[in-house]
Order: sequence, then C-alpha cells, then structure tokens
Amino acid sequence: MQIKINNKKYTVKNGETILDVCRRKNIPVATLCSFEGLSRGGACRLCLVETNKTEKLVTSCTTKVCEGLEVFIESEKVQKARRINLELLWADHAGKCVTCKKNRMCELQKLAEEYRIENFHFVPRRGEMTSKEELNLVHDNWSRVVVENDNPCVSRNSEFCVECRRCISICPEKKFGFNNRAGDVIVGTPYEKVLDCSFCGECVRACPTAALTDQNNLEKIASDLSDLKKLSVAVFDFGILDKIKEQIKNITPEQNLEKLFFALGFERIINLKDEDKNREDEIIKNVKTTDAKREKIDPRNIRTFFISSKISKKAQKSEFLDYVLTDREVARLVRDAGKIVTGKIKNNTRL
Amino acid sequence: MKDIKILTNYWGKINPLKIEDYLGVGGYSALKKFIEKMNQQKALGEIKSSSLCGRGGAGFPTGQKWEVVAKNSIKEKYFICNFDESEPGTYKDRMIVENNPHLLLEGIIIAALTIGAKKAYVYINGNYETQKDILENAILEAQKNKFLGEKILGSKYFLEIEIFSGAGAYICGEETALINSIEGNRGEPKIRPPYPTEKGLFGKPTVINNAETVANIPFIIQNGGKKYAAIGSKNSPGTKIFILGGAVKNKGVIEAPTGITIREAIETLGRGLPRGKDFWFAQVGGASGRLATEKELDEKLDYGKNNNIPLGSGTILVVDKSINIYDLLLSWTGFFRRESCGKCIPCREGTFRLNEIIERLADGEISQRDKEAMQDILWTLESTTFCPLGKFAAVATRDAVDKLEILKD
Repeated sequence: MQIKINNKKYTVKNGETILDVCRRKNIPVATLCSFEGLSRGGACRLCLVETNKTEKLVTSCTTKVCEGLEVFIESEKVQKARRINLELLWADHAGKCVTCKKNRMCELQKLAEEYRIENFHFVPRRGEMTSKEELNLVHDNWSRVVVENDNPCVSRNSEFCVECRRCISICPEKKFGFNNRAGDVIVGTPYEKVLDCSFCGECVRACPTAALTDQNNLEKIASDLSDLKKLSVAVFDFGILDKIKEQIKNITPEQNLEKLFFALGFERIINLKDEDKNREDEIIKNVKTTDAKREKIDPRNIRTFFISSKISKKAQKSEFLDYVLTDREVARLVRDAGKIVTGKIKNNTRL
Repeated sequence: MKDIKILTNYWGKINPLKIEDYLGVGGYSALKKFIEKMNQQKALGEIKSSSLCGRGGAGFPTGQKWEVVAKNSIKEKYFICNFDESEPGTYKDRMIVENNPHLLLEGIIIAALTIGAKKAYVYINGNYETQKDILENAILEAQKNKFLGEKILGSKYFLEIEIFSGAGAYICGEETALINSIEGNRGEPKIRPPYPTEKGLFGKPTVINNAETVANIPFIIQNGGKKYAAIGSKNSPGTKIFILGGAVKNKGVIEAPTGITIREAIETLGRGLPRGKDFWFAQVGGASGRLATEKELDEKLDYGKNNNIPLGSGTILVVDKSINIYDLLLSWTGFFRRESCGKCIPCREGTFRLNEIIERLADGEISQRDKEAMQDILWTLESTTFCPLGKFAAVATRDAVDKLEILKD
C-alpha cells in the first residue's frame, strides 16, 4: 500500500509503524525511547507526528500505517510539541555537557543540537538561581540523583538519565525499573541496591546519555598511556575492530586504526584471531610472564589492556590484566585526545 | 426536582455490617430475578436500554463495554470494580460502601455473571482501610447466603470476588494502570489499543466499571432499563451522586437526577452560599475539573459529549471571593506534580515545572519568561501526553488563566 509522508508517496508494508517507514527511508524523526528492536511504548513523546486521520498528535513509533494515511513530520504543531518537550527534558539536564563522559556522543545532545533547543523558556534547575527558595528547589532536585560506582562494570549516575526506559526493556535479567514517581522518578535497581548481574553490557550500549557508562578510571589510563617508562600492551578481542570503527566513523582502513592506537600511546598491539577464542586469558597472562621474561622487561613496568566489548571482563581484572576497555571507551580516549585527521596519523606520533 | 433515590435510599437506615438489613429492604432480589427469570443476553439488553454510562468521569456507555466482552468467545474473563477513587474532593464510592456495601456487591455479581466472568476484583484505594473491612465482611456474608461462590442460588453460576488493595496512586484509577497494578507491575498506563475489553487483565477480556456505575445495576435489573432511562438527562440518564463542598450551606453527598444545572445543584442541593459569601466560581469534577463562572452556571450536569463543563466524578467545589486563588492553584498543580506517574516527558516534567511556576506566581516573582513557559507547558500537557492525566493536570490551571486571568498584571 502507499502512504504519504510530508506530501511524498512511499510504498509501505502492512503492519509497519510510521517510524519503521521513516527509518527505512532515512526520514529523520526525533526519538529517544525507541531503540533497535525494543518494544515500543510511546513514552518519550518526541516522535509525535500529525496525520490526516485524527486531530490529535500520534506517536509514530506505535501508530501502524493504513490505507490513505498522510503523515506530516514537520508541521507547525509537531515542531511545537517537539520543541517544548525537548526543552522540558533539556531543562532537567542542561549545563553539564562540557564535563560529561558522553560529550559529543550523546543522543540528547544531538537532538538538542538538531532541533535547536537554544532559546530557553524554562529556568534551568541549576543555573541562574539566586533566591533562597530556588536554592531549596535545587537541593530537592539533587536529592533525587543516585550515583553508583560500587559494581565493577557499570557506572550509574541518574543525574544524566532521561527516563527513556531503554535499559529497562533491554536488560535480559530485568534489573532496572522505575523507582518513585512523577518528577522524582529514578531509573534504578530495586531498593537502590548495588547492581549485581552478569554484566552483559546491553544497558550501557543502549543508554542514550551518560546515565549508564563503562566503569573505569580514564584519567589514570590516560596518564599510564602517556608514561614513557611503562610499556602499554593492547590485546584486541576478536571482532572488536569493527565495533571501534563504528564508534569512530572517520577512520576506515584497518591500517589507520592501528596507527591510531600507537598515536594514543599504546606501544604494542596483539590481535586475537579466530583460533584464539577462549585463550584470551592465557595470551594476556603471557604478556607479563613469558614475553616479559624473554625481552627482559620488569612486569611492573608493563600495563596490559584488553580491548573488548564484553564489559563483564572488567570484573576479572588481575595482576596480569590491568585495564579493560570497551569500544565506547576507546572512542572516548580518541575524543579526549583531540581532533583526528583521517590518514594523517603518523606512526608513533602522540596525539 | 424529582426526588428519586437509587443509590442512597437506604443510607443510614440499614446496618452496613448486617446482610439481614439489606435483605429486609429487598436486597439481592435483583440477583434473584437475574438468576431465576433472566439470562445473560436479557440482562445485557436491559443495561443497554438503560443507557447507563460510566460514573467515573469519562461517561462511556456501560452496555457497550459489556457487550464487547460478553460476545468474546474466550472463556477466561474478568470484571473489575474500580474503587480507587482518588480524585481530590470525591468520596461518593466510599460513602456507598460505608452505608450500603451489599448494593455494590449485588451490582458486581450481576455484572460479572452477565459478561461471563468467573472472577471479579474490587480494586480498592490503599487508603480505604475501614471500607475494605466493611467489604470483606459483606463478601463473607454474601458467601454464607449463597450469593457468591459456587452454584449461586442453586444455579450453574460461579463467581469469586477478590479485594485488591492498591497503594493509593491517583493514576491507578486509569483502567490500564489499574490492570498493571493488579498484575503486579508498576502502576502506569499501557498503550491503547488494545483496549481492556479486548486484552485486559492478564491479557483477557476485562470490564472495568466505576463503583457508582456498578451500584446502579441492581435497580436497572429490578425495574428494567426503560424505567431507568426515563430518569434525568436523555444522553446520560439516571441519578448521580454529587459531592458538594466549599462555600455551600449543605455540604456532603447528595443524590439527584442527571441533567440538573450547576446553579440548581448549588442553590437547591447545596441550599446556596452561606451569608456573607460572594460566589466566584465552581469547580466541577475534582482537581481535574473545569471552572464554571457565573455565566456558565446554567450548564447541565450530565455526560453529554459537548458539555462545556464536564461532570467528571460529580464533585462540585464552590469557591467564594474570599479564597486565595494561589492556594488553590498550588493545591491543584501540587497534586498532579505528585501524582504523575513519570512515564512520559510532558507530564513528568510539565507538571513539575507548572507547580514550580505557580510557586513563583504565588510569591509574586513571576517573570515574562515564566508566563510564556506556562502557556507552553499547558499546551504540551493538553496535546502530547501519553494518557489523560496530563490533560487533567492542565484543565483547572488553564481555566484559571483564561477565565480568572491570573496572569494579568
């Protein structure tokens, strides 16, 4: 059947939602709560569109296409709804981008940029507050923030949470849920206990903001990497290179990626191959034992890094394995190191 | 005004803890009639011809709801009596149970049997502890008298009633949130469709009726739908329990036919304003109700689709000119700021911001930016929220802005 989106005709399949069609045809629709194949709840209200079927705005993620449907994605009403709702969300969030772990990798920031949330109608919850009552308000707002770094893998900070529910729906162990209600709502664990699960890392992957991030100490890592007395050895998990390429989009040939790692301060790179599966621990151990002995390097001067998308590895750090970095963290190291110019990274040049 | 009492006629005359009292005034005869002389189809026909519509606020035709579920061939069905009642200023359902619990019970039994449910729930507001005790006692007594359980009055019918106590959240009065709550999930609305009549409790067809609606059923079965349809307003016949509060002489719950005007409700049922009080406006339907100024006092109180002032839950709060409007605004917006479930952005953030701006307004510190933001928030609450709670949250404040001109300098 055919439908019209922004007055252009599109052929669609029965049972598809408006958002499905838009994604397939690369028509941009703002959305936060719908992620990959997760069940769609229409909770974020950012993907609202106008149709010829009803006066009301409908969520494109839950509305199925039907014969004769005409969709308007950029009508005045849609733009107004999106602006106000994004502003409201942004007002709960604003002013922390510069120091944020996810700066320039954040979906909310991207939305705010794309839809120009700059003319601010709401008083920010933190900035511009002087009177005593307003300061009390700030206090109230702060009290609803939960920060948890006690588990080895996932760093949680509900201050950055946009309550999109992706982590709730994606978690195979159903570890997350809504605590409290209304403006006090916190996405967290039951009774705010320390997160304890198999650490598959799906929630971190799904989180659009910095509410759920990889647990690490990037500052220490960066200083270890730049310490010339220490030998930094990176062990690449099988298949991780492609994931890193996804994160850092302007790097394409594999050669450049290796150069990039040298530029970041790694001195040696070991690529795990298909046959090395399940032997990763042994290979990592060899770096500080047999390899070090052969080359007469004090193991104390070696830092081993395992580059893998499995964040559960973070719980298995040992005397032989100092750091575990995910593809996202590598992207952050690159971001923090400075501007990358594709193809111009010279061997062993520090960024 | 016709003096018809369907729900309140035995209030104060019978002991709510004794089934004998209710039986003494002809109680459970509608159930007997249903079992001995009627079948499910006929009972459904009576409800449909009575044009009874939901008393919770939305005014959806009850018969239509029942028909969808009754016609469904799936065997497992549920009936839920919505006794969550948490609209501020509304306590009609509570009074029904406190004064005549068996009337409600009889209604539930007939309703559940008519749609073919074998299990019925009473979803009770978590704050209603005394009322829960009364209902539990009533259920036990009804079981003893064979009105409940297996082989009701010797027939093939079977019904079990369970009282489910919520935690007192306003949103759980919304059908899908209520279902979530009984299922053990967080009390927040689900996406519709599917409607509860198709996929409700545990995914099975479910009818959810407000307690006051259910309490009308025995009368309709006993006297016929046509007789009921002749009472009150044409589009939503019957009687309605009005809850009068604020600046009226006669406060409390009063039953009257639908279709009376707001003026009649205030002057006749409420016996007017106390001496020295000057009428300002009346809020009809609780905290989510619209404000009726002098001009709108001749609006009818019924569930007509195009009513300017929707009846809602039937609460009428009369406000006189000595009242500080900011106190009321803080109360309304504070209520929704607490009771929003937090699921969608416009409601979670909007109710929070609205309350914040009203606080500044009350302190006389409102800025031009606040005024613009307030218009934006009200619009987004009205047009973009997930469930009707957002719309409700904006109603009273919107009317205060438009009709009372609170933002005018």
